[in-house]
Amino acid sequence: MIPIFMTRRGSVSALVSVPRQDQGLHQFGVGIASAIPSLSVRGVSYDYDHCSAIKSVDLDLHPGTLTALVGPNGAGKSTLLHLIQGRLRANQGTIESNGSIALMPQRASIDWSFPITVTQMVDLGRLRTRNRGQKLSAQQLLNQVGLNGLGARRLDRLSGGQQQRVLLARALMQQTSILLLDEPCSAIDPPTREHLLTVMRQQAELGQTLLVSSHDWGSALDSYDRVVVLDGTVLACGTPDEVRQKLTDMTCMMGSHCCG
Amino acid sequence: MDDFGVWWLTPLILALMVGLICPTTGALLITQRRILLANLMAHSVLPGLVLALAFELDPIIGGLLSGLLGALLAEQLNHRFKGREEGAMNTVLAGFTAFGVLLVPLLKARIDLEALLFGDMLAGNASDVIRTLIAAAALLLLLLSRYQDLVFLGVDPEGAIAARRPVMQIRFITMMITALVVISAITAVGVVLVIALLCAPVLVNLDRSESLRVLMLRSAGTGVLLSSGGLMLAILLDLPPGPLIGVLCLVLLPFWRR
Repeated sequence: MIPIFMTRRGSVSALVSVPRQDQGLHQFGVGIASAIPSLSVRGVSYDYDHCSAIKSVDLDLHPGTLTALVGPNGAGKSTLLHLIQGRLRANQGTIESNGSIALMPQRASIDWSFPITVTQMVDLGRLRTRNRGQKLSAQQLLNQVGLNGLGARRLDRLSGGQQQRVLLARALMQQTSILLLDEPCSAIDPPTREHLLTVMRQQAELGQTLLVSSHDWGSALDSYDRVVVLDGTVLACGTPDEVRQKLTDMTCMMGSHCCG
Repeated sequence: MDDFGVWWLTPLILALMVGLICPTTGALLITQRRILLANLMAHSVLPGLVLALAFELDPIIGGLLSGLLGALLAEQLNHRFKGREEGAMNTVLAGFTAFGVLLVPLLKARIDLEALLFGDMLAGNASDVIRTLIAAAALLLLLLSRYQDLVFLGVDPEGAIAARRPVMQIRFITMMITALVVISAITAVGVVLVIALLCAPVLVNLDRSESLRVLMLRSAGTGVLLSSGGLMLAILLDLPPGPLIGVLCLVLLPFWRR
């Protein structure tokens, strides 16, 4: 582990724990459910062309946790993920992390017709990593996401769900301690969604911190340790049951306010 | 004309080289969805070429500067006409071509405009071959040094930016090489027809290539067949090679089966 600490306003700072494969279950070099958050977002705001996308967002993510980031379209979920990743710079607030960060992007940002095999696509993850520890092979990762035997196939010959798994394998190739996933479960069948959630859960058990944006408000939320409801700002945050209760209370309050 | 001893040898070498480098560059441009910019650059080199020829300068210098100017102007206008970029780029394309055409009478230059627009392969000489070699060397250098980044940029441009790959640098170099390739292909097919050799060989190989590398190799093979076949047919039928190669590129597409 190489601790580096730096803080910059509106961008990601890091106490880097370079992940190592030989660290057993805690391969990301942090204890599961540690008291020290691996990611801390404080008062972060971001404007697009003078229009507020997110405002005063506070968020703590702990190592070894799987967190859902839910909210309607335009709630600022992707913006928040890009701010955490460091691609966007916040107008206000700070984001601190104690590790390297990978982002699995939305489907729409990929040119699926590009001539590339599944293995080549997963190997692109190496270009994004500075990890000098033990290198993972694309084959290993494809096995992990359930795509063994498909490495030589062209990317556009796969189903939508299989393509999502390739993106997940590419993100895992970066061996970061924090993994952000931008709507990985959109437009895929329930078995594939289950499989993706299983892989995410395995990664959390290995000590990785995962933040997953989603439209899904239903029973799928129970698969996560914590849920953050975002709609420009954080409306609710807690375990799935706590968040459901808070949202029910809020709906009741708004209902009584409107009727009263 | 007779640089290599046999009158048809220089045009044939030129045809082979252009057939090789145009589709290879086209593979990069099509997979990065920048083919419209390439066509714009192909037309934008015209004023620079006319100026260079009129003042007896190297056409590479005039063409490069003019091509880059067209691309930069288009980039500026794209910001102003966001969401309507195609219209702005096509206007720049037409404007630069028109300016090039107007420069000929304005400068009273003795320039064969038709040869610049549609090529005159049979008039090719050793300087034209050397220009193709320079363009080929620059292209090869880019591919050898930045292949993985070119793949990344093609399949996931936002990801490449987020991963802090040298995206702007690669795009600028690709633009320069496109201008070089276009300039070197002008004697063979002209500024108007070069786009056919940049596109057609790539389109017919795109779906069955499993990597960018394979796509480039296959496209180059198809390009060589088209350009050398076009030249031979032109000699046989006593027709201009440039337009004949353009027609062959067109004929290839509807009859191609996956």
